[in-house]
Amino acid sequence: MADESQGAAPLDGNAAGGLLHELFALDVTAAEVICDGCGAVAEIGAVRAYGGAMGAILRCANCNTSIIRLTHTAAGLWLDMRGARRLFVAAPA
Amino acid sequence: MPATDVAAPARLRWITATIRDVIDETPHVRSLVLDVPDWPGHKAGQHVDVRLTAEDGYQAQRSYSIASAPAAAAALMLTVERLDDGEVSSYLAGEARVGDRFELRGPIGGYFIWTLDLGGPLFLIAGGSGVVPLMAMLRHRAVAMSTVPATLLYSSRCADDIIYRVELDRLAGQGGGLKIVHTLTRERPAGWSGYTRRIDRAMLQNVGVAPEAQPRIFVCGPTPLVETAARDLHALGHEPHLIKTERFGPTGR
Repeated sequence: MADESQGAAPLDGNAAGGLLHELFALDVTAAEVICDGCGAVAEIGAVRAYGGAMGAILRCANCNTSIIRLTHTAAGLWLDMRGARRLFVAAPA
Repeated sequence: MPATDVAAPARLRWITATIRDVIDETPHVRSLVLDVPDWPGHKAGQHVDVRLTAEDGYQAQRSYSIASAPAAAAALMLTVERLDDGEVSSYLAGEARVGDRFELRGPIGGYFIWTLDLGGPLFLIAGGSGVVPLMAMLRHRAVAMSTVPATLLYSSRCADDIIYRVELDRLAGQGGGLKIVHTLTRERPAGWSGYTRRIDRAMLQNVGVAPEAQPRIFVCGPTPLVETAARDLHALGHEPHLIKTERFGPTGR
């Protein structure tokens, strides 16, 4: 992966793994998220991701609902998960 | 439990990597072999975030796939394609020299990974530098002497752009159930008997593993290649949950 394109082309949630890891104590790219817009279930690594190091918007690949927004500002880190109905992290094997 | 387990509560932190070796792979692609103290190990398919800091404090950050096998923990390898306007890649695949240092954090990713216990058959589909995480899987398979059948379908612009060509030839020549098929999208060199078109449904069907065998499929490359391949694989009867994709921005391939 080389996500240098910071334009309109989406990447995968996988690319936002490092950013999400700043907030979550674990790597959530394999976690399942239920989209609050359409009910689709997807691994975080598989959803669409827009953005870069300063922040990311993860969108449902099925209906484009914004599932997770994560933004760095001078004041701190903002997380908006209104589009995620539920996040499931499997116990380690 | 290994530190890289999905639910292992290990904090991700920035650590300093030192360039031990630089390998020119193609005219646009370089591999960097890194010394990373206390590297916790990784799984094939994971990536790292790289952060460069300028004298004035300006920072640029990008993600790069890990190319080395998990067993080679003592020498982490990244393979980087130089993009024309790439703030980070122009350094990593350009000016970077042995002994240079930069920050990275990882390993990252629990989705696009292959471990021995996931088994196979493996069907790997790459476009350009999308081959990097798939190479980590093939290296892992080789080092572990896995006999899982594996097929790599690899699309490059031209023969000179094929990354890891010598090593791929060597791995395939060892037998052991690894098949590698190249396709070139912008050139038909003299004597080339392979494919010379973009990856399409017929190619996926002819080269790939039948859906009945339930192959584990990993697709990595530019967005159009990934989306087309995923759609075609689905149409051919492969189950969506066995198809893992990873895309990067358009590079005109």
